[in-house]
Amino acid sequence: MLLGRSSDGNDALNLNGTVRNDIDSGVEHGDVLLRYSDAAVGRTDDLVAAREALDAEMGPDAVVDCAATIANFQRMVRIADGCGIPLDSFSRTESAKWRDGLGIDNFRSRENTFSRS
Amino acid sequence: MTTTAATFSYADTSWPVLERTAAAHRRSWQMLAAPGEWWTGAERISIAAECRRASAMVDGLPDPGAGPATLPEAAVYAIHKLIGDLPNVTREWYDETISAEGMSDAHYIELLGVVVHVWSVDEFHRALEIELEPLPDPLPGEPTQIRPTGAKAHGSWPPTVWPDDLDERDADIYGGADRAANVRAAMSLHPDSVRWLSDLFDAHYLSWIEIQDVQEPFRVLTRPQRELVAARVSALNECFY
Repeated sequence: MLLGRSSDGNDALNLNGTVRNDIDSGVEHGDVLLRYSDAAVGRTDDLVAAREALDAEMGPDAVVDCAATIANFQRMVRIADGCGIPLDSFSRTESAKWRDGLGIDNFRSRENTFSRS
Repeated sequence: MTTTAATFSYADTSWPVLERTAAAHRRSWQMLAAPGEWWTGAERISIAAECRRASAMVDGLPDPGAGPATLPEAAVYAIHKLIGDLPNVTREWYDETISAEGMSDAHYIELLGVVVHVWSVDEFHRALEIELEPLPDPLPGEPTQIRPTGAKAHGSWPPTVWPDDLDERDADIYGGADRAANVRAAMSLHPDSVRWLSDLFDAHYLSWIEIQDVQEPFRVLTRPQRELVAARVSALNECFY
């Protein structure tokens, strides 16, 4: 449960902002980071403009770091869903508090994660 | 199209890519070209080529062409499923895939290892609009067909090897830790894929040491910033885990 870990030690992070663009994530420069992520993963026409916006706010080193983070998790999600990695009981219980509100309980891959744990 | 030596030279781009990232990408191509436990070098290049074909299909781009070896039909289908239809990967599909001709659970995990690492390196390039590195020439040799003796059912679809059950030749794959993160353990039926995972994870994200320290911004993005991006990428892929 990456989203759960995201809030650890970071009280300012609004989990709703990680999945919804109309809610501020509470993370500094979060809007440009998410815009670039959306464009890169979603293959949208906004990729160049989103990258330029991130570059303008945070600089080219941040663009490269963000691109690497995107690339990393494009890989990790495929390992998780390609192997049906189970969610441990602690994470399952803890995440129940906020999962439904984020809409991720509707993800098809939920069945894979719950079916074997 | 293949080439003998991967360069991953980013000097002629406008992006300040770290040398350690470039070096990890070069190591990735070396691992890709070598024969594995269950696939030859040529088959591994073909898996990578099919990964690019699947991506091109999703993106509406011209077919970049097949690799040098013919893959089992189920392998080709699996590659396209993992790239372009991830939300619909199911246990039933996994069971059918590993039961198909020319496949097994170990074949699947090694294939998955090739797919996700080539995909990750390519995605880095796509995000920065850097031309994709040509695939390497395959190295000669036959698959070893060595299966970890301690592989057991632990909850993930494929059998996995926990630290206490590692064979001596694989004792390094969890860095000596007495517990293994689920994602690393998930690939442990093919230990070289765990090594590859750790190497590229370090280059693209954080080392397994760095990730333990939630507060410290080791690299350019702060920890909350990189976790925000990670969470969004997961959500866009409808990855529940």
